Amino acid sequence: MSYISASGVKFSYDEEGQNVLNSVNLKVNKGEFVALLGHNGCGKSTMAKTLNALLIPKEGVVYVDGMDTSDEEVTYEIRRNVGLVLQNPDNQLVASIIEEDVAFGPENLGIEPEEIRRRVDNALKAVDMYEYRTHAPHKLSGGQKQRVAIAGIIAMEPSCIVFDEPTAMLDPNGREEVMRTIKTLKEKGITVVLITHYMDEAVLADRVVVMDKGEILTQGTPEEVFSQVHLMKKYSLDVPQATELAYKLIGVGLRFSKMPLNTDECISLLEEVLS
Amino acid sequence: MIRDITLGQFIPGNGIVHRTDPRVKIILLVALIVLIFCTFNFAALALITAAILGIIVLSGIPVKMYFKSLKVIIFIIIITSLLNMFYGTGEPIWQLGVLKLTLSGIYRAVFVSVRIILLILISSCLTFTTSPTDLTDAIERLMKPLKVFHIKVHEIAMMMTIALRFVPTLLEETDKIMSAQKSRGADMESGGLIKKVKSMTPVLIPLFVSAFRRAFELAMAMECRCYQGGEGRTRMKTLHVHRLDIICIIFTVLLLAGVVLCDIFIAPII
Repeated sequence: MSYISASGVKFSYDEEGQNVLNSVNLKVNKGEFVALLGHNGCGKSTMAKTLNALLIPKEGVVYVDGMDTSDEEVTYEIRRNVGLVLQNPDNQLVASIIEEDVAFGPENLGIEPEEIRRRVDNALKAVDMYEYRTHAPHKLSGGQKQRVAIAGIIAMEPSCIVFDEPTAMLDPNGREEVMRTIKTLKEKGITVVLITHYMDEAVLADRVVVMDKGEILTQGTPEEVFSQVHLMKKYSLDVPQATELAYKLIGVGLRFSKMPLNTDECISLLEEVLS
Repeated sequence: MIRDITLGQFIPGNGIVHRTDPRVKIILLVALIVLIFCTFNFAALALITAAILGIIVLSGIPVKMYFKSLKVIIFIIIITSLLNMFYGTGEPIWQLGVLKLTLSGIYRAVFVSVRIILLILISSCLTFTTSPTDLTDAIERLMKPLKVFHIKVHEIAMMMTIALRFVPTLLEETDKIMSAQKSRGADMESGGLIKKVKSMTPVLIPLFVSAFRRAFELAMAMECRCYQGGEGRTRMKTLHVHRLDIICIIFTVLLLAGVVLCDIFIAPII
């Protein structure tokens, strides 16, 4: 059974308004890394918020580990299990000391002080920010702040973390730091849902889901999704640069055995074609 | 320019003053402030000055930082000591029209300025050596008995924590907005006070809008982290009164006794 299963989810922010989500069906398996792509305003952030009961769907249901998100009795149980990391790291940090901020989540759960200490240390080590534990957040770079925000979620020991464009406000270095962290989390068996604008981040996922106007357009492995360059272009979505290059070369008559997703793959495929 | 404010900025360290329980520090600060204003002769004043200077040396904070916080109030010290200097009664030493300089006036000025300086030094010492979170935490715990009067102690402490957390963020943002407006030709330097205040509108409005947006997002982030108020919440750092704290309390009690004895046995001069 899937860890998260959303079926027929409809949502609108006001009563008469247009639906932001239009019967979305989404399943996420335990330990899976799913990337959610789409335009601004296509409903992907809204979708993220329905996954941890911040928003309750107007129609349809979302089940997390068998718990219905509309059931108020399990709201906090769901939020403990499905952590949400938001875009702006500045607006997610509560305390003026890194380790105290990371402790905020476990403190809310009413965990024993020694156990909180252990979790905070582990979470900070997991995002490689342990040596900064007594620093103030405003003295860190964007990437470091975002990693602290991730540590704050890890300290609650969730089984799934939803990232809502975690790298959108970061410089290339910060992006790389955060992506490296996300990859290690995935290796540790945490289910990851990554909402992003960057195609080179999406190719790292096990499965890519493309959304448009509150609906799921297509989904599949990165190879399956990005080889449909036509479809992606039609909805003015990008494909990774390597795929784009291959697409253009195919247009002038070259033949590739498959679509490349990153530079290395592209190089080896080109070597194959040219030899 | 705005980042020069040192009053209320924590400097991490591991000295004796840093390690003292924040609750003890707050109570002792209050006691010391009361004592500062209970000195009526030079012996008592010297005693408390020595004690406070001692604490400052022990705090291990660079003296430069203390000077910085004194710089802010230098005008207040000058003005109040000037006023006091000419307010004394008794035989004038020097006179110019209505201005009469008397010995008691000079004493008074010395006392007032030393008291203000001590007050700033010891309060800065608390904020330099105690992290804002420890401070709010201590205030929360000290105010706990007020729950009887239905005062929302946890909520107040939470608000203080968040306010402290966002001070540097919002200062940075103010700087950015000011630069943005200046680059579009906004004039913020010239003109009188009223014009200057008016010219702040294009800075304040975006700042407020952004603060509200931040507040909204922060509330969401807090909900994501299962925040549900003070009920059932635990803390990572539990506070215990250690031997060090007891030594500090004994030290302050001795100081109190010393100052009181000085006041009783040596004639007051103001």
